Amino acid sequence: MKRLFRTGLLASAMAVGLGLSVANAAGPTNDDLLNDAKSTGDVLTYGMGHQGQRFSPLTALNPDTVKKLVPVWSFSFGGEKQRGQESQPIVHEGMIYVTGSYSRLYAVDAKTGEKKWQYDHRLPEGIMPCCDVVNRGAALYKDKIYFSTLDARLVALNKDTGKVVWSKKTADYQAGYSATAAPLIVDGKIITGNSGGEFGVIGMVEARDAETGELIWQRPTIEGNMGTLNGKESTMTGKLNASWPGDLYKTGGGATWLGGTYDPETKTLFFGTGNPAPWNSHLRPGDNLYSSSTLAINPENGEIKWHYQTTPHDGWDFDGVNELVAFDLKKDGQTIKAGAKADRNGFFYVLDRTNGKLINASPFVSKITWAKEIDLKTGRPVYNDDNRPGSPEAAEKGKSVFAAPAFLGAKNWMPMAYSPATELFYVPANEWGMDIWNEPITYKKGAAYLGAGFTIKPLYDDYIGALRAVDPKTGKIVWEYKNKAPLWGGVLTTAGNLVFTGTPEGYLKAFDAKSGQEVWKFNTGSGVVGSPVTWEQDGEQYVAVVSGWGGAVPLWGGDVAKMVKDINQGGSLWVFKLPKA
Amino acid sequence: MSLLGRRHFLTLTAAALAAGVAPRRASARPLDDVMADGRLRVAVYRDNPPFSYRDGGRLTGVDVDLGRVIAERLGVKVDYMELTAGETVFDDLRNAVWKGHYLGGGVADVMMHVPYEKEFGLRNPEAVLFGPYQRENFALARNPMRVTQPLLAALPDEPVGVEVDSIPDFFLLGAFGGRLRERIVHYMTVPEAVDALVKGDVSAIVATQSQIEGALGERVKNFPVTPVSFPGMMTSSWDIGMAVKENSRDLAYAVGDVITATIEDGTLDKIFQRYGVTRNAVPTE
Repeated sequence: MKRLFRTGLLASAMAVGLGLSVANAAGPTNDDLLNDAKSTGDVLTYGMGHQGQRFSPLTALNPDTVKKLVPVWSFSFGGEKQRGQESQPIVHEGMIYVTGSYSRLYAVDAKTGEKKWQYDHRLPEGIMPCCDVVNRGAALYKDKIYFSTLDARLVALNKDTGKVVWSKKTADYQAGYSATAAPLIVDGKIITGNSGGEFGVIGMVEARDAETGELIWQRPTIEGNMGTLNGKESTMTGKLNASWPGDLYKTGGGATWLGGTYDPETKTLFFGTGNPAPWNSHLRPGDNLYSSSTLAINPENGEIKWHYQTTPHDGWDFDGVNELVAFDLKKDGQTIKAGAKADRNGFFYVLDRTNGKLINASPFVSKITWAKEIDLKTGRPVYNDDNRPGSPEAAEKGKSVFAAPAFLGAKNWMPMAYSPATELFYVPANEWGMDIWNEPITYKKGAAYLGAGFTIKPLYDDYIGALRAVDPKTGKIVWEYKNKAPLWGGVLTTAGNLVFTGTPEGYLKAFDAKSGQEVWKFNTGSGVVGSPVTWEQDGEQYVAVVSGWGGAVPLWGGDVAKMVKDINQGGSLWVFKLPKA
Repeated sequence: MSLLGRRHFLTLTAAALAAGVAPRRASARPLDDVMADGRLRVAVYRDNPPFSYRDGGRLTGVDVDLGRVIAERLGVKVDYMELTAGETVFDDLRNAVWKGHYLGGGVADVMMHVPYEKEFGLRNPEAVLFGPYQRENFALARNPMRVTQPLLAALPDEPVGVEVDSIPDFFLLGAFGGRLRERIVHYMTVPEAVDALVKGDVSAIVATQSQIEGALGERVKNFPVTPVSFPGMMTSSWDIGMAVKENSRDLAYAVGDVITATIEDGTLDKIFQRYGVTRNAVPTE
């Protein structure tokens, strides 16, 4: 009814000559955001629904009709600046909002590809983002569009004019903080994680008033640190010194750089946390909670409901930041409120999302060296102790080990998708390992320090990337698609029995969701490392994806970076549709 | 004495060696271009007291002053490029000297404060490391009422401050079977640790001697500073010099000669004294 009402308003406003911007000004409500997974005429949230399933109920496109999917227009991000385009477009009332590299945001007419406005964030000198100048997407709520910038600010713009409404510093870029994830908006609160600052940093989840940008609560992710609520101290995260020696908890890592998801059914936020600091795990005996974990958080006050730690006492740089995707697990005649996470460490976890209890954990890559398995009774990994990098002694480097997955992860940032139709997860995985050691001496800012050394190596000659369909009931891999270059883009699935994802080779590809057979591809001219979306417009099904090669692989990939060095950069938004017959 | 300067080169790859003995090529940019421009662009670290930092908005410090002297003696003006430190000096050399940061801003002609060490140089063939002007080492600064002996092994049951993620941090966390682990207090910077020592929050700190002395200033009278080493564990001292891009060897020769001259005529010592920092001679001087 709301939608009808707004359409009516639009017509009358135009009639009296007030113009489009006034008529559109209302924008989506909280209910609209909560309904995003079901509504087919728009894409209002990162994840195509707060649960992050990236599933569309649309069926016009299917393995038979997809061959008729054709490009409609392409929009260049322009400028001299290109590099990694990891964004997911937002689509609302005929407008596409898409972020580009270097903290840029564009509003483009969804029908014509005509630019309505562009916002170029002025980046200060001295920012030092670790892993390319990417941005993963914007958030839309009421009359404002929000995104995070490389200098660790959160910016709110009027969605119709692109004018800044407010801009808040969320962390100090001079201390090495940055921000690249898409914000999450729940009940009028805009919720973000933090990123960057490879040392001396602790992870944080923060909620602000979406209207004003004022801080409401903060939840540090590392045990022993104090949270805040409405400007006052609230509660301590965990218990002081329970899993950390001395004052190391104050600088313990655990950044929440990938943002989070939200489950409206249990009213819970899920945020993944990064690896602990310092690097050398021998110096911080204990589990180092809540590093490399998923935290379930109450959006009202920032209190932690439960946690599940995927890599206790991490020694391999296995961030636990990956998204937890809420879904209904139908097993043995029961429906369990579950959540799934494909972790950097190579295991696919299925948890009871009401309490964090482990239901199943299974490998989704072919080689995992650091643990034999995850003990389903205790929920803890059974470590291979001799695969932990050694402590540096004397003038020699600590024992070097070959570990798989590599630190870039069996799955990195790129979001997976879940289809309630096939009851399968579609996981963009990579098959690689690393030599890793604790180095006695390297140099930081001209001073000797102790670092970790690592070099990434592919496991196989013919492929690194693997898109895998995982059955959450059994942990079995139902099908896989192998890709020569590492996969670095998000996944989309539809009720039309399709799975879409991009490749560094430049293709947007579609697969039969049940069989994994490749049924369509289109080369966008540069690597695809963004997340595709689909929606319906004027009775036709559309698909959009950004193109532009970059991200962490060319910067951090060692031997793999050499493999992909000839891929040209780019920066554009591609829009496709299935024309009416 | 320019030969002495030249001895302080790490010539690393076969190609680099060949270039080192070849006559100066007119095509190599560097020195000719600097002279033609009339400007020397010097990269210094952002927020790195006492070597390069902002004091009331003004860029100052040992590296800044030394960069100015180098430019003066070459007969050119100095420009500074303030460099945000990357994860390691590998990144800094790439960003400041041979490639530039991917965010833009270009490169400098000379980068200050680069570790001068053979193994490190071998792993950075795109840069030439030269002109060491300081031997860095670690030191213990203590409140003498609370810590009576300047010995790590004799530290009493009192809090000890370190800079997070530094070698003293790692050493003390693991040393003596982890005995000190619960008493180590971490600070983001050495000046913060020094403030904590002065305020009495910690009984002692362990950090580089240069940084401790620079932050203590006059207060060094009340807080004795003693060099320490980490026996049997890891490197406790290293040398600091400069870097240019691999194709700028002739510029390195010229700058190296200036360094040698400033060592001999006492200018370098005066610069260090200005900031209250002991200059430890590099042994081959």
